[in-house]
Amino acid sequence: MQTEQFNIRLPIGLLHDLDIVSKLLKVNKSEWVKLRLAENIMEEKNKLLMELGNLYINNLITREEIKKLLGEEISNRIEFIKNKSLNSIKRGFYYGKTIKR
Amino acid sequence: MVKPLKDSFIFDTSALVSLATIDLINNIVKLFNIITTKSVVEELEDFSKFDDVYGKISKKVLKYKNKFIIKSIKINKTLNFVEHTDNELFNLALKEKLILITDDIKFSYHASKYIGTYFSTFFIGLFISSKIISKEEAISKLDKLRDLRNWKNNIIYLTTKEELEKL
Repeated sequence: MQTEQFNIRLPIGLLHDLDIVSKLLKVNKSEWVKLRLAENIMEEKNKLLMELGNLYINNLITREEIKKLLGEEISNRIEFIKNKSLNSIKRGFYYGKTIKR
Repeated sequence: MVKPLKDSFIFDTSALVSLATIDLINNIVKLFNIITTKSVVEELEDFSKFDDVYGKISKKVLKYKNKFIIKSIKINKTLNFVEHTDNELFNLALKEKLILITDDIKFSYHASKYIGTYFSTFFIGLFISSKIISKEEAISKLDKLRDLRNWKNNIIYLTTKEELEKL
């Protein structure tokens, strides 16, 4: 996995707490922080993108605004999901009409 | 025009899991050929070893395993950014000129440039218009799909629900 250095300064108290956690769990401090950070970031990202999806589908934010905010890849992906969802239900509905039960 | 029964579609693991979640897989098995690969069945068998939600649904899918048409395929064209299992299904769809049903957004996004793909919600539309399920049942099934919550499923849910309400 490709990595990049990211430095943060933590309050002494928090570092002491981290020390206690790592001793009790017998885990490496950096590894534990990395794991918990990854879990929190994933959860927060999912929550925020769900909100963004709600706004987009309800026409409260445009594709152009999403592009400016998060870049072309995410805006393209959201548009793709919306179009593919529409296409799937519509084509399925049309196909179903041709079925003889 | 009346289409002959037993048309064929290619299914990946995500689609089979979704369709079992909303109890449509039994109808699909009756009306269509489910074509897939050994790798998909192996993925489901791996999931089924766990006692979580996916494990339970995978067991449900595997009950129909003997009705699946399992095909093997040589990979001639590779999509970047997707798993080996997905590339097998992609090549199968290319070779057999069949529609791929997948709820895996990344796979669908890359594969759609070359083959026809639909989300599993295709079958919700299909079963409404063929009067196998009612609109109300369809909305309730869609709610179940939303329980497999992530931001991508949320967009599928919102878009499909809006469309269903227009029917």
